[in-house]
Amino acid sequence: MRDPASPLIYDPWPKGVQPDVPIEGYPNTWTFTPSQPAIQKPLTRTEATGPAKLWAKLTCGENDLATTASGKRAMGQYIRISGQILNEDGRPVPNAIVELWQANAAGRYSHAHDDSKAPLDPNFLGNGRVMSDENGQYSFFTIKPGAYPVPVKDAWWRPPHVHFSVLGPSTLSRLVTQMYFPGDPMNEWDRILNSINDPDARKRLVASQVHPSQETDELLGYKHDIVLRGRFATPEA
Amino acid sequence: MDTENTQRRAPLSQHTIGPFFPPNLFNQVDNDLTRVTQDAAPTSKGEPFVFRGLVMKEDHIPVPNMILELWQADAYGKFRHPLDPDHAEADPDFLGWGRAWTTDEGAFTFHSVRPGVYFEDNQARAPHLNVIIMGAGLMRPVSTTLFFPEAEEDNAKDPVLNLLPPEMRHRLVMRADGDQDGVPAYRFDFLLRGSRDEETPFFET
Repeated sequence: MRDPASPLIYDPWPKGVQPDVPIEGYPNTWTFTPSQPAIQKPLTRTEATGPAKLWAKLTCGENDLATTASGKRAMGQYIRISGQILNEDGRPVPNAIVELWQANAAGRYSHAHDDSKAPLDPNFLGNGRVMSDENGQYSFFTIKPGAYPVPVKDAWWRPPHVHFSVLGPSTLSRLVTQMYFPGDPMNEWDRILNSINDPDARKRLVASQVHPSQETDELLGYKHDIVLRGRFATPEA
Repeated sequence: MDTENTQRRAPLSQHTIGPFFPPNLFNQVDNDLTRVTQDAAPTSKGEPFVFRGLVMKEDHIPVPNMILELWQADAYGKFRHPLDPDHAEADPDFLGWGRAWTTDEGAFTFHSVRPGVYFEDNQARAPHLNVIIMGAGLMRPVSTTLFFPEAEEDNAKDPVLNLLPPEMRHRLVMRADGDQDGVPAYRFDFLLRGSRDEETPFFET
């Protein structure tokens, strides 16, 4: 049996899937981005490998962002975001580290660098970390984040979104991305999301809503599968 | 048995990590590759070193709040990962991975042990550190590989370092930077954007 944690092939990123920079109204995408093309490098052991048992180092199991240690609840619409971590063969990736962070219901991050005028919620820190299970499943209980203006001249707005950081089986499967909510007209105006040229790739960053009858009475469900790079050398017979 | 319901899926697009990656996702010793848990003692195998430097944007301006992740082989040149044919011999007390973020002055620090040389496809890989950098303004991580200054012979044969034109190779070599708490220190300042002659060389991922 193949080790599900060890893909062998990393195809180049499909055209239109990676963001195009610089982004208008986001000047840092110019001043932080290398001017020279990245140097092509063959796939070697050092890229195909990555940390094992990272869950022993990074605390996992923080899957409830909406409840404080003393049982107080955050303000906002309670939601569950869940899905599968998969590789490009559609196979589950177990033991991936999944980190999620987001703004509160008013659109403010609990972070020293966020100087937005929107209020903080003392009961919402807005981050968690879990490990995907043997079927690649992950789940977070949280609140729906608010939209917020980007503090630049001629401010533009970010639609509600959550940030994901996923550490999978290798250095090459490392993924940092954002998830959007279905049906929000602001998605179509978002400059970050629109830096992805391929419309299908943009759609893949939008979660799907679960029918309320399939969730508890307390919350709304969103499903979002996260596909990491990497596949196996030959399909199994 | 696990074949029927698999289908090709496209990887999700990368986005910037943004300015608000939560400080409380960092733990005390995340930047120490020599500890496999938060409480573990550092591995006893290998020569410890400190790796430090700055992350700078255009015009050599140091930037705070950038996130760096480091990945390397252990003191014997083994990776504790199933795709290393010798992974059974890897040091069980060495994690090989760490994460750091830059201070208000744009500075970062890692603690590790010097990686060993290993052979792959009959070629010797010089001791090296794989680094990715993420942060606001970087829509996707940048990735590079750094080498040790005194490993000149190994560096000269390294197939990855040799992908660069000869005049650029020294720009992926760290420099000796004294010591810190009795441990040798190496320094590398990353320049994310600059002229061709100054900008840090990055590799495609």
